[in-house]
Amino acid sequence: MKWSTTEGAGVQPKSKHLFLALFCSMLAVFCVAVMAGCGGQAAEPAATEETQTEEPAVTELKTIEDGKLIVQSDLAYAPMEYVPEGKTSEDAEGFEVDLVNAIAEKLGLTVEWQQVQFDTIIPAVKQGGTVDMGASSFTITDERLEEIDFSDSYMDSNQGIVMTKAAAAEIPGFDASQDVAGTERLDAVKSVLDVAGVKVAVQSGTTGEAWSQENLTNAETVPLADAIQCLTGLQSGLYNAVIADYPVMAYYCQESYADLEVVAAIPTGEQYGLVISKDNPALTEAVNKALAELQEDGTLTELENKWFGSAS
Amino acid sequence: MKAKNTERMRVTRLLALVAVFIVALGAVCLAAPTRAEALEVKSTTARPNEDGGDRVIGGLPTRLTWEGTVGEDEELTSISLTMPEGGTFEGSSTRVTVLDGLNRQNVDSVATPAGTALQVVFDEPIPAGSLVRLEVTGVAFPNADGDYTIEGTYENQLGEQALPSSPAISVIQNTPVQGLVNWLDQQPWVEAWNSNPFLNMFFKPQILVSSFASLFPGWLVCLAIVLVAYPFAILLGLCFAFMKMSKFVVVRAIAVTYINILRGTPLFLQIYIAFFGLPMLGIQINVYILGCAVMAINSSAYLAEIFRAGIQSIPVGQYEAAASLGMGHMRTMVSIILPQTIRRVLPTVTSDFITSYKDTSLLSSVGVMELMMYAKNMTAITGNITPYMTAAIFYLIVTLPLIKLITLVEGRIARSESGQGPRPKGGTVSAEDVELDYAQDALAQAAHAEALPDPELSRPVFVPLAREGA
Amino acid sequence: MPKRSRHHDPTFDVPPALPADEAAKLAFGHDKDLSTHAFKPGEHPIVRIEHLNKTFDDNQVLKDVNLNVWREEIVVVLGPSGSGKSTMLRCINMLETPTAGHILIEDDEITGTTKANLNDHRKRIGMVFQNFNLFPHLSAKENVMVGQTKVLKRSKAEAEAEAVKQLSAVGLADRMDYMPSQLSGGQQQRVAIARAVAMHPDVILFDEPTSALDPELVRGVLDVMRDLALNSGMTMIVVTHEMGFARDVADRVVFMEGGVVVEEGTPEAVFDHPQNERTAAFIGNIQD
Repeated sequence: MKWSTTEGAGVQPKSKHLFLALFCSMLAVFCVAVMAGCGGQAAEPAATEETQTEEPAVTELKTIEDGKLIVQSDLAYAPMEYVPEGKTSEDAEGFEVDLVNAIAEKLGLTVEWQQVQFDTIIPAVKQGGTVDMGASSFTITDERLEEIDFSDSYMDSNQGIVMTKAAAAEIPGFDASQDVAGTERLDAVKSVLDVAGVKVAVQSGTTGEAWSQENLTNAETVPLADAIQCLTGLQSGLYNAVIADYPVMAYYCQESYADLEVVAAIPTGEQYGLVISKDNPALTEAVNKALAELQEDGTLTELENKWFGSAS
Repeated sequence: MKAKNTERMRVTRLLALVAVFIVALGAVCLAAPTRAEALEVKSTTARPNEDGGDRVIGGLPTRLTWEGTVGEDEELTSISLTMPEGGTFEGSSTRVTVLDGLNRQNVDSVATPAGTALQVVFDEPIPAGSLVRLEVTGVAFPNADGDYTIEGTYENQLGEQALPSSPAISVIQNTPVQGLVNWLDQQPWVEAWNSNPFLNMFFKPQILVSSFASLFPGWLVCLAIVLVAYPFAILLGLCFAFMKMSKFVVVRAIAVTYINILRGTPLFLQIYIAFFGLPMLGIQINVYILGCAVMAINSSAYLAEIFRAGIQSIPVGQYEAAASLGMGHMRTMVSIILPQTIRRVLPTVTSDFITSYKDTSLLSSVGVMELMMYAKNMTAITGNITPYMTAAIFYLIVTLPLIKLITLVEGRIARSESGQGPRPKGGTVSAEDVELDYAQDALAQAAHAEALPDPELSRPVFVPLAREGA
Repeated sequence: MPKRSRHHDPTFDVPPALPADEAAKLAFGHDKDLSTHAFKPGEHPIVRIEHLNKTFDDNQVLKDVNLNVWREEIVVVLGPSGSGKSTMLRCINMLETPTAGHILIEDDEITGTTKANLNDHRKRIGMVFQNFNLFPHLSAKENVMVGQTKVLKRSKAEAEAEAVKQLSAVGLADRMDYMPSQLSGGQQQRVAIARAVAMHPDVILFDEPTSALDPELVRGVLDVMRDLALNSGMTMIVVTHEMGFARDVADRVVFMEGGVVVEEGTPEAVFDHPQNERTAAFIGNIQD
């Protein structure tokens, strides 16, 4: 896994530029750069420089409640964000929780965590008025960028396919000693999953769902509310496999679901970003700046070691 | 000499030719495996763009995901993809991901869409073995049924190479619903409507139209579940109602336990236990059948109480009149009490039916593809609340007429029942009796009390069910 | 002697029911001066009540009541509220289970019989209730038919013909398809009478049939009952407060008070020359 705040291999085609420019001209001229940058679309150094040079022009940072950053998350995605047993959402923990808290500290805000369904977060942020930020391991995609803005990416990720150990042992050509990221494993797993009658549980609205729909066209993709439901259903035999973010699945298989295992990683190289309304470019800008600082002062690496171990 | 020279030259030439041939052959032989190691197309998929459905519709924007691995001796510098005739890359944006194993590599690139072609040029050559993914958002396939492949070329250090054909992508022709959505897209009033953030978020016309079509199967599933489940719920409910009124303590205890546990726990929990618990016990049941079963069992507990209260609300005079005609217990129940009970409980049962129908939405949490599930998925995809509004409309289509029906039936009962005597009392009178305590019964009872000053009527009320076994 | 009901209370130690012939003889001797009924030689009473006791909680409502009713006899039971007359009536078809004592219908003891037998007996005993107790979900005609078809297993056509006949007899030929809720109290009570008569019972019990009616509706019901008494040959036991009806129609008047039969005799004897002062007081009060 690789951590970054500014890279992205995105390419901004000309027509998209035009569209964005048109849209952003309604807000402010400087937004063009901000949008391009925070959208994870443009990693061109030029754009980043532009962002930096125009930074002083940014309007005052405003949140819904002064001094507060209201953040929505499903808080059911360890070790990214979760509520420890017996606690409430106020005591949420996880990599992303620490990260958002650190960002908020830099911005002089206190965070209020709200636990909601994953698929309602982007509509809520887009709608505005109730929530400042969505932090629920969102992968930056162009579709989502049409609705909301993303901060710069703070983490790269991949997808993982989870099955029961018993089912995995019966996959023809499956060799647990092979590299989990190897194409042999993925191909072997795909061959048993892309079959009519197979049920693949995913979290609704995720990249895992999209991958399953596109790549396992013969199987039935069953979208559920959260990852725990997917894994519990898999464990109890309702589903044949679960597809979700690799680091999270690896964590759950190790910590909570001893009879499940990540049978293959799907190299998607996706990037996580924080969800912020298009109407609040000042917040996006401030968050990106804070992220860059956290990257520079080593906090990000520290958190990475804390939650994923130095090995990753 | 000359001839000899000539002869020698000839031999030399021949040898040279043979050598060249051999070398060429060798080169070809050597080259062949190199070819096999060239850029390999791993997968090519298109995101379903049928709103709420799982098919790819031609002529409408979708996302093309193309994946390839760079061959072993190659350094990739650019890729050109070609869409089949009729499709277009125009207006698309491309996200490029380069991976070494699971590690993301930083490669900058420029993508230029032009008609059916898309060229992606990398700033630096991509090393051998890397996985390259192009996610092209906003492409459109030809608007005709068919299986389409993406062709193209790529450039490595040796120059331009042909790209292997991609796996075929199944595309269907645009549906009338999508056609209507596209038409709405172009209407000025729709644009004006959508410029209001609330209307756009909750009542976006395009999504309203497309979600109506795509939520329809979910609505049918809801209806089917509740329509299949409810007759069983009624039978079970009646059975437990009679059990609860039984004179045998054990039978009563079983009924009371059943009813109280089911009424005392959330349906959500019961669904979880059934869907996650049973498979763990090795019992595998089709989710739709299991869904019906859970709904039926849950409703039966409520219906049992409704029926029991309904049966006990029938005035004792009805039992006496039936008994005086020589009717036995079963005959009295079937011919006299139950027909009246049905009329009395119809409004309450209809309310319960409405609740059950709405509660099928809870089955979405365990992956039963019902109305809310479709709505949730569509909301997740579109980031818009409108599908939930559509779901609300689908619920109302059924519930509003039923609510109207309840009002009508209640009015009819109020008008038709008067002058009925007191009700028989069971062993216990619980809160449910209050549910069924229609005003007209209270009136009738008052009238009855007034008409009967005879104090001997203050005796314990006749209990036909408990007594006749004497 | 058949097994008594488990409700039997050992504090009421009543002797077993008398043998039929002995009982008939005794009853004949007892009743022949108290009733205008035309006794036939060797006749047995159709209803025999022997040593009937009934207790509700600690309240003894009936205390050793003995009464015989003869075929085609019209017996009117009078008494103040709480005298136990309705309870006695309800004991006759076991709507109340006697605490002790015997009820015999045509010399068949029905106290302590099984449920199935009880229903067989009940078909032979019609009952008209104070509150009519029509079945509200059935039309007037269906109310009269339901017992015939479901209990007597008559064919639908047969039952319908009988219903039409009896409803016409009570003057409701034009109301046969009305629902009870569409009928007045008097009309409902007439339907109830037709329902009882259509079963062709041996005896019909009337439990204060006019008490729940508005005064202007009483007359219609009494006319029907009078007609039934005078023209049908039906045996009737009538609990009522209607003195005029008792005087005109009854073969015998029974006066009850405090759970015992205080006085019985022909209407003339009881109304004009009451032997007991409580009877006299009651009749005086009512007639004032």
